[in-house]
Amino acid sequence: MEPVIIISILSLAALACLVLNRLWAIECVSVGAAVGVFIAAVSLSLSVSTQPQPPIASSLFFSVDSLAAIISLLIGAVGLAAAFYSVFYLRAEMAKGIIGFHRVKQYFILFNLFLLAMFFAVMVNNPILMWIAIESTTLSTVFLISFYDKPTALEAAWKYLIINSTGLLLGFFGTLLYFTSVHSTSGNTLISWDMLMANAANLNPLIAKIAFIFVLIGYGTKVGFAPMHTWLPDAHSKAPAPISALLSGVLLNIALFAVLRFKLLTDAVAGHAFSEWLLISFGLVSIIIAALIMLTQQNYKRLLAYSSIENMGIAVLGFGVGGIGVFAAITHIIYHALVKPALFFLAGNIFLKYSSTKIANIRGIISALPVTAGLFLAAFFAVTGTPPFGIFFTKVYILSACMGTNLFAGLIALFAFALVFIGFFRQVIAMMFGEKPAEMPVGEINRLLIAPPLLLLAAALALSFYLPPFLSELITQALGKYSL
Amino acid sequence: MELLSSHFLAVTIFLTIIFSHIVKRNIIIVTAYGIQSSAIVLLLFRSFLETKSLAMLFIVILVAAIKVFLAIRFFVGFVKKYEAGLSSSAYLNLPLTLIVVAALSTFAHSRLFMPLTTIIPGNTALLSLSIAGMLISLLLMINRKGILSQIIGVLSLENAIVEFGLFAGLEQSPVLQIGIMFNILVWLIITAVFSSMIYRHFGTLEAAAMKNLKE
Repeated sequence: MEPVIIISILSLAALACLVLNRLWAIECVSVGAAVGVFIAAVSLSLSVSTQPQPPIASSLFFSVDSLAAIISLLIGAVGLAAAFYSVFYLRAEMAKGIIGFHRVKQYFILFNLFLLAMFFAVMVNNPILMWIAIESTTLSTVFLISFYDKPTALEAAWKYLIINSTGLLLGFFGTLLYFTSVHSTSGNTLISWDMLMANAANLNPLIAKIAFIFVLIGYGTKVGFAPMHTWLPDAHSKAPAPISALLSGVLLNIALFAVLRFKLLTDAVAGHAFSEWLLISFGLVSIIIAALIMLTQQNYKRLLAYSSIENMGIAVLGFGVGGIGVFAAITHIIYHALVKPALFFLAGNIFLKYSSTKIANIRGIISALPVTAGLFLAAFFAVTGTPPFGIFFTKVYILSACMGTNLFAGLIALFAFALVFIGFFRQVIAMMFGEKPAEMPVGEINRLLIAPPLLLLAAALALSFYLPPFLSELITQALGKYSL
Repeated sequence: MELLSSHFLAVTIFLTIIFSHIVKRNIIIVTAYGIQSSAIVLLLFRSFLETKSLAMLFIVILVAAIKVFLAIRFFVGFVKKYEAGLSSSAYLNLPLTLIVVAALSTFAHSRLFMPLTTIIPGNTALLSLSIAGMLISLLLMINRKGILSQIIGVLSLENAIVEFGLFAGLEQSPVLQIGIMFNILVWLIITAVFSSMIYRHFGTLEAAAMKNLKE
């Protein structure tokens, strides 16, 4: 029931934004839809956590497992924060004359369609429909990335469109190959994940391996795995702050979720060693490349984007090493999905104040934006894995799992974590301290722009110490399904 | 019926992809893509003749409408509007491009892809040709500097995957095929809008002109 409610609310909200011509009405509809969708996502997670495994919340088109429920909850939470933040962020940009009403209207139509595509991708029962939904996330966000209609934004959006479309076509090819296990039932039947899993024994192991390589490259492009990551820093740095928050915080996880679903199928016929080796390799390469680039980064939004590549690398490394690494990877996804959007919102506040994303132009944030500065520092410590934030524990668990199975990989990861901390810290300190421009007034642009990042950070901190029983149950169920 | 022969259609698709690497005039690249998409439509029409399914006939009409009529109309309009008669240059010169094309074709016929080319043992040659088509389409996207070539490269890759699916007996249900075609239609519309935005900002349709994001 909840999947239908979520899809209906977001479809109606997009339609309403299309026909409404009052700014306040469009804002109310979008925030209202985000609230409704968040409540439905919570309800969905609660019902999934209390039902026996498998299948859960299953219907002709939808089937939500525990990991899908966790990701739905994250989309709902970050979507609500982004909707609320968007209202005041876009108003500030309108006041500065950067955008007009029609841009805001276009923004909220695409925003709702983007949320719709993301929810559909995680809840749908069929791999091809999931592919269509993930491709739709590309199509709905491409105009949000080129939102400011500047040459750099256009370039970033074109790169995003072409690289992701190509990647997803390769993912589609890989998906088709998995269907060789159900030759006899294809045709007019909608082949579900469960059907593919039930027929996994009919899949040729060599085809499964080749298919997984295509899926990993295809959907991995969307996750931002190095070396297919080149679109990500451009797109995330050029999009408006709330869209960057959604792209980094939740969209990457959805593509990773697709990879994990295919990993289950591959492991069932080809053993887990093959996919494990590939995930560890992509994870390590992503962490190292991100760490090295972060050392010399000159743009703070790109810095955050590279941090997302690093964190996706950490998560996939956790799934690759298995054991406690899988538990750490799932919780890492949750913490990162809460902390990274907070960082992008705070980056939005900095941009509104300084009108620049270049680190060299940003000095004295502590004096100019004291609350934003304090939260940014806290979020920086959270995302780099400083205690007491949860990412510290997830990194420790993943490292210990790595050391147990592959000492060399563990040492490389440890070295890269240190590099990331040094690189990130250097840039953050440079922006926080020093003299703010003399003519710049002290104080936040709008206090309401503080609420979404504050709440997300508070949630990340609270979840570092206490996991509510339903979330704990969902993680346990996901662990049972996705661990080796 | 010779026109509907699988081998004839597969070779047609393969040759049109190679042809896109060789020709200099955009309008000929567009024509090659039109022929390629028509071959895909004829392959789907063969499936209809075998299944006599009305849903399949609907898919054939839909694919023809989007890939043959709409796409070609868009590309021809594109060439005329931006006076993009000559196609953009490539990173590799022609002899090198042909060497890479030959290497990719050989690679597609190698033992590495044998598990895929033997999915339907009777269609081994056709499946190898489809895989070669995919690899050469990827090369088209990477090697050519013009955005029209990149767009046609993506669409050729999609055609080659559909061709592989048909020869491997992996056709999807009509509902899914409609969804995929809808996605392609939206993708085409978005690329059309983006092409005009790129031309407005950069005064050219060369992807290589977009060099602002080097940080």
